[in-house]
Amino acid sequence: MAEEEDETGFEEEADEGPGGVDICHGRRKRLFSKELRCMMYGFGDDQNPYTESVDILEDLVIEFITEMTHKAMSIGRQGRVQVEDIVFLIRKDPRKFARVKDLLTMNEELKRARKAFDEANYGS
Amino acid sequence: MADPARIKTDDTCEKTTTATEEPKPEETDDVSATAKPTQENKEAPSQDQPRQDVKPETAAHEDEEEGTSGQSACKRLKVEPEKKKEKRQKVDEDEIQKMQVLVSSFSEEQLNRYEMYRRSAFPKAAIKRLIQSITGSSVSQNVVIAMSGISKVFAGEIVEEALDVCEKWGDTPPLQPKHMREAVRRLKSRDQIPNTKYKNILFH
Repeated sequence: MAEEEDETGFEEEADEGPGGVDICHGRRKRLFSKELRCMMYGFGDDQNPYTESVDILEDLVIEFITEMTHKAMSIGRQGRVQVEDIVFLIRKDPRKFARVKDLLTMNEELKRARKAFDEANYGS
Repeated sequence: MADPARIKTDDTCEKTTTATEEPKPEETDDVSATAKPTQENKEAPSQDQPRQDVKPETAAHEDEEEGTSGQSACKRLKVEPEKKKEKRQKVDEDEIQKMQVLVSSFSEEQLNRYEMYRRSAFPKAAIKRLIQSITGSSVSQNVVIAMSGISKVFAGEIVEEALDVCEKWGDTPPLQPKHMREAVRRLKSRDQIPNTKYKNILFH
């Protein structure tokens, strides 16, 4: 918990100048501000969520992705991230597991549909 | 939107190894729920057939007299899983119909929120860049798709928990950082937030 409070505190300080030392994690430009705002509204928050809340959520998401990536690199084929590793890491969480299965199946379907469509066009 | 219960039954059918084309008739999340269902219902009957050949290892015994290995893959699907296919079709149709009824009764504001819920997503390019900067090597597209999908679910879990906290504390949306932090604390205690920073040294 301390990490979130420190980051929101340090945010103002790190904008001092181009030569400033990058002390704390999350100093990068905000990657997902726009998308996260829409997402928070979709999940039940107000239509205009607070910027600080969006920032906290972005830091959490980036930390989540980082942790998952590190874990995936350490299992299966070392040093690489593969889908099977992600599915393995997620196996205990029913929501995420179902979602990943859905997405991958859907992707396969769409690929097949596109391929069939292209072949139909090519024939004609 | 899939519900986990439905996926469980589908899992057994999913591990097909046949060469036949068999896209699964599930609802996509890219388009609105109302547009898809009519399409799926048409596809469902013809495409559920080939899938069933994996499951009936038991049914295969019944069909053994019918053909050699090459043929049996097609023959097998005839017998048993008419009922399984119908049952899954029914579950799909039921769910689709319920969703249709629900969405058609939404107010304007609810429709807006639902649309935001379905359409919002993390940009694939940024996620790919982020993962590649961590691994140092390139990652496949499926990895990016999977990772952005679970990140969205993760964000949703936090927001939902934060809304619970907000309501419990008698506050109103928009969510404040204190709600978010309390939500994170609660999820951490349930082990829903991965944390590899502190190793648990058992015997010191």
